[in-house]
Amino acid sequence: MSRGVLLFCFDTEHTRYHRLLEKCVHLIGKNLELPITVITDHDTFNKIKPLGFINYKFIEPERGNTKMGKSWNNADRHMAYELSPYDTTLVMDIDYFCFTDNLLQFMDTGHDFLIPDQAHDLTDRENLQHRKWSMVPMVWATVFIFKKGEKSRMIFEMIKYIKKHYSYFNKLYRIFSSNLRNDYVFAIALQQLGGFVGYDKFPFALSTLPPDCEIVEMTDNGIAWKHNDQINFIEQQDVHVLNKEVADV
Amino acid sequence: MDISQLKKSADLSYDTAVAKRNALEKAHARQIIVYREHIFRADPQTICLVRTLKETNDTFFVLDTNSNPVEITDPTGFLSKLIERNQETLNAYHQTQQTFTKKGA
Repeated sequence: MSRGVLLFCFDTEHTRYHRLLEKCVHLIGKNLELPITVITDHDTFNKIKPLGFINYKFIEPERGNTKMGKSWNNADRHMAYELSPYDTTLVMDIDYFCFTDNLLQFMDTGHDFLIPDQAHDLTDRENLQHRKWSMVPMVWATVFIFKKGEKSRMIFEMIKYIKKHYSYFNKLYRIFSSNLRNDYVFAIALQQLGGFVGYDKFPFALSTLPPDCEIVEMTDNGIAWKHNDQINFIEQQDVHVLNKEVADV
Repeated sequence: MDISQLKKSADLSYDTAVAKRNALEKAHARQIIVYREHIFRADPQTICLVRTLKETNDTFFVLDTNSNPVEITDPTGFLSKLIERNQETLNAYHQTQQTFTKKGA
């Protein structure tokens, strides 16, 4: 049974995502030691520095989605099932940095699909409780694991269906933001396919740094950030960084 | 006492509270273990339950974090893993706590 990590990386005119990819791949190599496949386009690929034994697959990203007025090429996640060459796949955003091997053990569970539904705000402001912005219990598609098989295939078929009719589901679930967010697409698909009862989840909260945190240092062990003129840091904990300027740190 | 000292003390209290919360969250994340394809939390409840059941049974069932029943056929090995992970995380949490105690929080 093959196991590996699948990453999506497309530069935009505003953000050099390939710089995030380089940091993300380095930490995966150090802490998870799993094979990596990167889904990218040729323009982005040409900017990525040599990263060792990485498998690349090229697609033309679906464009048109935006986040805070900037281009956001996040609309291809629904193809993870077809694009992954692995039997068990860990899909991660490239702004999720693995400073531990915590995720590794989840590659060996009996679950077909696992995703987190909680986030922990490292600045302790509780501003990641997105439940009030929609009628669907939120999941975080930042990190998820799936095993190839009938159940996962159906989940991705449902994800594609939700994405295709997203404007309808966006209104049905009274989602505050109108742009396409994988978190909501996955949450709706899992809720619908789960018969509105439930689904298997990671039992941990994603430690997250909100967008207004300035990243001041990043090492192999952890990350330091500045918020309200205070500098704080965390080590030996996986962190989701929402401020994309981390690419330049 | 001048107000700047009070502000400094308040800032330190706040920083300590945030760091403790983050350290606790880190401990919770690390306390999760996968045992025979099922996910468990190495918390006091699980440890106490396994230890209690182990006293009178060679094999027994417990629920994983997604409420699936799991047969435990090696209670001693399972308990040992739970305790090891629990203490590893609390040791790390203790060290963080000590750092702030030294700063006077």
